[in-house]
Amino acid sequence: MFLTKLALKNLARHRNRTLITASIIAFAVFFYLLLDSLIGGMTEMSYEMIINYEAGHLQVVTEEYWAEEEKLPLKNLITPEPELMTAVKNVPGYLGSSAELNFQAMVSNGVNELPVIGRGINPPDFAGVINLTDYFVEGEMFRVGERRAFGVSPAVIGKRLADLLKVQPGDYLTLLVKDRHETFNTIEAEITGVIHTGNPLVNEGLVYVPLDVAQEALAVGDRVSKVLMKLENKNRAPGVAKELAEQLQTINPRLAVYSWDQLEAVTVAGAKQMGNRLIMVIILLIAAIAIINTVILAALERMEEIGMMKAMGFQTKEVIYTFVLESTGIGVLGGILGVLLGLAGVGVFTVVGLDFSGIIDMAPYGIPVVGKIYGVWNPLSFVTVFAFGVIVSLFSSILPAYWAADKDPIKAIYPK
Amino acid sequence: MALLEMRGLTKIYDQGKIEVPALRGIDLTVEKGEFTTIFGPSGSGKTTLLNLIGCLDRPTAGTIIFDGQELGGLDKKDLAIIRRHHVGFVFQSYNLIPVLTAYENVEFAIRLVNKYEKKEIRDRVMRILAAVGLAGLENRKPNELSGGQKQRVAIARALVKEPKLVLADEPSANLDSKTSEEVLQVMAKMNRELGTTFIFSTHDPLVMEYARRLIEIRDGQVAKDQRRE
Repeated sequence: MFLTKLALKNLARHRNRTLITASIIAFAVFFYLLLDSLIGGMTEMSYEMIINYEAGHLQVVTEEYWAEEEKLPLKNLITPEPELMTAVKNVPGYLGSSAELNFQAMVSNGVNELPVIGRGINPPDFAGVINLTDYFVEGEMFRVGERRAFGVSPAVIGKRLADLLKVQPGDYLTLLVKDRHETFNTIEAEITGVIHTGNPLVNEGLVYVPLDVAQEALAVGDRVSKVLMKLENKNRAPGVAKELAEQLQTINPRLAVYSWDQLEAVTVAGAKQMGNRLIMVIILLIAAIAIINTVILAALERMEEIGMMKAMGFQTKEVIYTFVLESTGIGVLGGILGVLLGLAGVGVFTVVGLDFSGIIDMAPYGIPVVGKIYGVWNPLSFVTVFAFGVIVSLFSSILPAYWAADKDPIKAIYPK
Repeated sequence: MALLEMRGLTKIYDQGKIEVPALRGIDLTVEKGEFTTIFGPSGSGKTTLLNLIGCLDRPTAGTIIFDGQELGGLDKKDLAIIRRHHVGFVFQSYNLIPVLTAYENVEFAIRLVNKYEKKEIRDRVMRILAAVGLAGLENRKPNELSGGQKQRVAIARALVKEPKLVLADEPSANLDSKTSEEVLQVMAKMNRELGTTFIFSTHDPLVMEYARRLIEIRDGQVAKDQRRE
């Protein structure tokens, strides 16, 4: 008890040093909380982007197609038979479903050529899963069966792609594709609408065309790549996926159902988060170095005092205890300060957000988010980082404290 | 009755390739209740002898028997326990803990012994502070005390646990002669009243005046051992 009292009094011994070290810890904690909130918000938003603009909550697809999806193959496709679609529409919490055919293409405006993903969709079904209505900056979505003059297909593209190709609604594009027999074919299209969403992939890498146009050009009959589904609640998706998959086994044993959280993009976002946590650990290690520095300084200053304590019969472990407790006290002080700053900072982040659009393009880093990013509250992070800060302070002081406490008492009393 | 018996006490410091002998086969006996001063020129081995007696160091050769216990076979932890219970130290530079008050600086020595109740601790601390002439100053921190007052706190800290032996290394070195005398009077009084054995290491003639036994060390050996009434 007396040693505890001594350790606490020592905290006030060099107020400035204690405050500076505590401030370093506070800054590390604060920075961690801000970053955690931001990454949490970014991840949450990227999930929403993927769900809302690309994948919906569930995808019905063949296992073989799923395994090779990156290549956008034209084999292992599915036929949206009535029996399948009935099963899809009968899942609990069903909101909508849309069959789509994805394919590789080169888009050309007659001058420039760019690689894109072509997506054959049926607009009314598609709107039930992915609603782009509010994101049209020019023109509109094509209608079912719509053909432009001379039988040209309508198409919708993203704003970034439109800017790159210097095209606008009314301009023509040519999509060069390979059908399922590896024969080259083209889709002549007139732009009916330009969209600008929060998803960089949609903005610059996708061309929407009518499903029947795509099916005809690719010679796949009435088959599609997958059926996207939207539910009332995304959290129910994994459970519904499991139930539906079992049901579909009787229709077609090759069919599988994947929920949004199994998407590769989502996994990548999760991995990014892990990487960022590592950076945060490094930040907290800086705090550890501050503590080690403080303990060594304190020990050097108090060498004669340590010698006196040992002469009086203090055991090495008791001297270590006073130093460790003092450092832990600094950790607690810094942790509290950091958490308070974090509460304020995260509060601001969640309300005001942070606009990255003018600073950095996050798409190359696998984060499909543009515009403002809002932080999220993660109470567990507050508890964890506080505990971690205190534990780091405690453990980082043990070695320097041992170094000081294990000194020969004579050398400590008579350092010169 | 002997508190300390030293036989053939030798201490050699190993400084790289050179061995520096500090003590060369000292034989000494210190009785309980003695008020002894060890003196001699710088480098004669006074402090080394005090460190060995105070269980802060181990001899290269020879034996020390402290209150009937041979110290040679004890490890660091056991030596710390002997210091904790039976030895008090008074240092030249006081070595008080600056964040603690005079009361707390003394209290912390007795708490270390861990054998007294809270009330008894308070009574003992207040009593010893009064005995060394610090009544009323118990709440002052070291920076609010004069050099003499600080040394009195150090004496109180050394005595409060009623050790068998108090070792004082140059206790008057940082004090003027008037304050030195006051401090020495306090220690002589404690020696008389509590029967505590005091051993000083000093150059100060004033300290020698107070001693009832004078041991002169030269070149690591006892050159003179004189008792007086």
